[in-house]
Amino acid sequence: MVSYLARRLAFMVPTVLGITLMVFCLLAYAPGGIGAGLAVSGGQMSDTSKVAQMQAYLEDRYGLNDWVIVQYGRWLSRISPVKFGERDLRTPSGERVAPPRAIDDPPLAAAFPTPAVPVDAFEPAAGDDLVAQFKKLQRDAEGTRREYVGSVRLFRDALADWARAQGPAMAGRLDAKGSADPGRFEGVAIDPASPGYAKLRAAADAMHAKWVAARRAQALALAAFRAGPYPKSGIPLVPGLVSLDTPDLGVAFSKNRPVWDLIAAALPVTLLINLIAFPISYLIAVPTGVLASVRRGGWFDVLSGFLYLSLYSVPTVLAGVFAIGFLANRQYLGWFPVSGLHESGAEAFTFLPHADAAGTWHRGYLVDTLWHVALPVLCLVYGSFAVLSKQTRASMLDNFNADYVRTAKAKGVPRKDVVLRHVFRNSLLPLITMFVGIFPAMLAGSVVIERIFTVPGMGSLILEAIDLRDREIILANTFMIACVNLLALLLADILYAAADPRVSYE
Amino acid sequence: MSALSTPVLEVADLAVSFDNSSGGPRIQAVNGVHMTLFPQQTLAVVGESGCGKSVTAMSTMQLIPRPPGRFDRGSILFEGRDICSLREEDMLSIRGGKIAMIFQEPMTSLNPVYTIGDQLMEAIFLHQQAGPDQARAIAIQAMKDVGIKKPEERLGMYPHQFSGGMRQRVMIAMALACRPKVLLADEPTTALDVTIQAQILELLRELQSTRDMGIMLITHNLGVVAENADVVCVMYAGRVVEYANVFELFDEPLHPYTRGLFRSIPMLRDVKHRLVTVRDVTNDAAEFRRLDGHVPWWPDMPEGTKPALAPGRDEHVLVEVRPNRWVGCWRTPELESRTHRRPSLDYRRTDR
Repeated sequence: MVSYLARRLAFMVPTVLGITLMVFCLLAYAPGGIGAGLAVSGGQMSDTSKVAQMQAYLEDRYGLNDWVIVQYGRWLSRISPVKFGERDLRTPSGERVAPPRAIDDPPLAAAFPTPAVPVDAFEPAAGDDLVAQFKKLQRDAEGTRREYVGSVRLFRDALADWARAQGPAMAGRLDAKGSADPGRFEGVAIDPASPGYAKLRAAADAMHAKWVAARRAQALALAAFRAGPYPKSGIPLVPGLVSLDTPDLGVAFSKNRPVWDLIAAALPVTLLINLIAFPISYLIAVPTGVLASVRRGGWFDVLSGFLYLSLYSVPTVLAGVFAIGFLANRQYLGWFPVSGLHESGAEAFTFLPHADAAGTWHRGYLVDTLWHVALPVLCLVYGSFAVLSKQTRASMLDNFNADYVRTAKAKGVPRKDVVLRHVFRNSLLPLITMFVGIFPAMLAGSVVIERIFTVPGMGSLILEAIDLRDREIILANTFMIACVNLLALLLADILYAAADPRVSYE
Repeated sequence: MSALSTPVLEVADLAVSFDNSSGGPRIQAVNGVHMTLFPQQTLAVVGESGCGKSVTAMSTMQLIPRPPGRFDRGSILFEGRDICSLREEDMLSIRGGKIAMIFQEPMTSLNPVYTIGDQLMEAIFLHQQAGPDQARAIAIQAMKDVGIKKPEERLGMYPHQFSGGMRQRVMIAMALACRPKVLLADEPTTALDVTIQAQILELLRELQSTRDMGIMLITHNLGVVAENADVVCVMYAGRVVEYANVFELFDEPLHPYTRGLFRSIPMLRDVKHRLVTVRDVTNDAAEFRRLDGHVPWWPDMPEGTKPALAPGRDEHVLVEVRPNRWVGCWRTPELESRTHRRPSLDYRRTDR
């Protein structure tokens, strides 16, 4: 059993890698890229070069300029519990602080020689001031870097202008979008007497100035980082080279918050709704399926089949709109709230319902929450009966004609025990596979229902992330769902072994 | 009359029919079957697939699902009570307790998710007042009786850990754990190889002689019949066509169908280009004229042999053509006036 588990878990690693690589490539090559969401949100920016600089900064910050496979490798190393290189720091609040990133040399060093960078001495502040000092240096490093990346972008624009001024031979080096990739101009002799040279030179000088500033700030920030304003994160295996640390899901592009925080906020909501919905659908669908199979062709069988299939045929969107329109709308019944998860000010509620001294009834946090999730749960549940109950019924009917059921009857086992002890017990086996499917579904949440009822769950989170091309959230979600799916399949196999003595992994 | 000469099971004029799911007329699976089983007797019911052997046995257990099944007429008397008219609650104590049944498919007849012990003790708890320890002891004894070695260990095992022959032994142990008066063995050895077949039948004979148990042995294997049966009931198309003790039947089969069955058995010595089939025999008009004064019943008579029938009555009647020899005949007007003794043979072979 242990070796089987180890083997299964080992096989999961390549599967998860394959899944994430595929999703990563899809996202990386999807049209629009990270700027698509930005172009929409930054629509009012009049200066297009500002937008371009902003985009260049974001691309630099999230490392989107590199090859996809390099980006994927970087993502993997973040996800991996085994880390290479310098260890991160961890703030008392649990946030992870990575060392300030190195800065590449400016492009076209042959034509525009790189200036020397003066080395600043770092004076670590004493005690708690070190943190403040590090934070300031970190901010400086990020700010100067941002300006430098923007200036590189401007330099590239100037290079493109210059190339166009040189005539078709040089303009041919521009890429399809008409922008200049400095790599393509490596080794090109840039004549100071050529038309438009002055502008290019000025852009190069500005870039160099920003680069020197960025390098100096980065060196200081790194020195402050190494002075250790916070304790180091993780456990070293080979000091300075290999360490163990918790997986880092990264920072969401669109919200500038750690992905884990976003998931930690959304997951409990989805779990709450699903943990209420799944038991309800199982507790109703399985017994009715059993009953329908016992009285096959009887009125209950026909009626439940008809009812469940009718419910199954109603689209969730329609059901949600009807539920809001009839059950939540104050003009009609108005029994339930329209949206959200809590009443405003629910944080101040007591947990359980109670009546205060004046005899006024207070709902309490628990009832308030249940009251709010009632309609989403209803919409999640009503369609699930059909599949589950039909599956149970079919599985029961399969077993009713089995030889061992005939044996049980021939022993004189009463009908009720034949159904429950012999038929139902064997019918459980196919239901196990269906049962473990709920785990990934719980994690993914229901996009439609969460949208309709404005529930801030996983479905809403992922939908928003897709809208904004937020790769980190999508990847983190895909990664988690892939892991949970694989673990659920493993769980199914283990449950099978527990339920069916014929299955064994020894 | 001693206890052994009182029949333990009497099937009289049993007729069972089923709904035709494709909408045609009802299917008459069993149509006026008579048979009588005495304690310590083995009654072999022989016939081809679909002749109503299993339906007779399942009717005895009241395991025919109704609908689609229906009891048209007749009775099944067990210890003087008509099983057909018993309520389900009363039937529960008979089923498995007084009348037990073993089936053809030992591989699938045991529930795969319960241990052998669970399944054995389930039967014991249902029919005997026994605590867990007592039930366990009974189960172990039952397994010892059917020749399963190390029964204590085997009780905790699952059916898939047993071979086919061992599973059939378990089935027999389960059926016999409550010491039934009647054992219905529905082709108990068909799925097993010849060596195991012999062992299982030997075992059944042994157990039968130590208890006053009557066995209804349903089979289409004439070799098994010759070796094990005391009395043979040959069936065709839901009717009894011949009923006799095993030696008389094998010495001189009276019904053309029975003759056809015997002649269709290939002999190792004989080199034949083509085996004789039952149809070769039943298509021969001469075969139907060999009984003085009676015409054997057959649904598909050769030209010119079908006699005039008594009007308004069932066409088939089981006639005692010689003492203790019954043959299914056409109900001619001459037979109409006679009363017919129902087949009942209190006979046990003595050659064992």
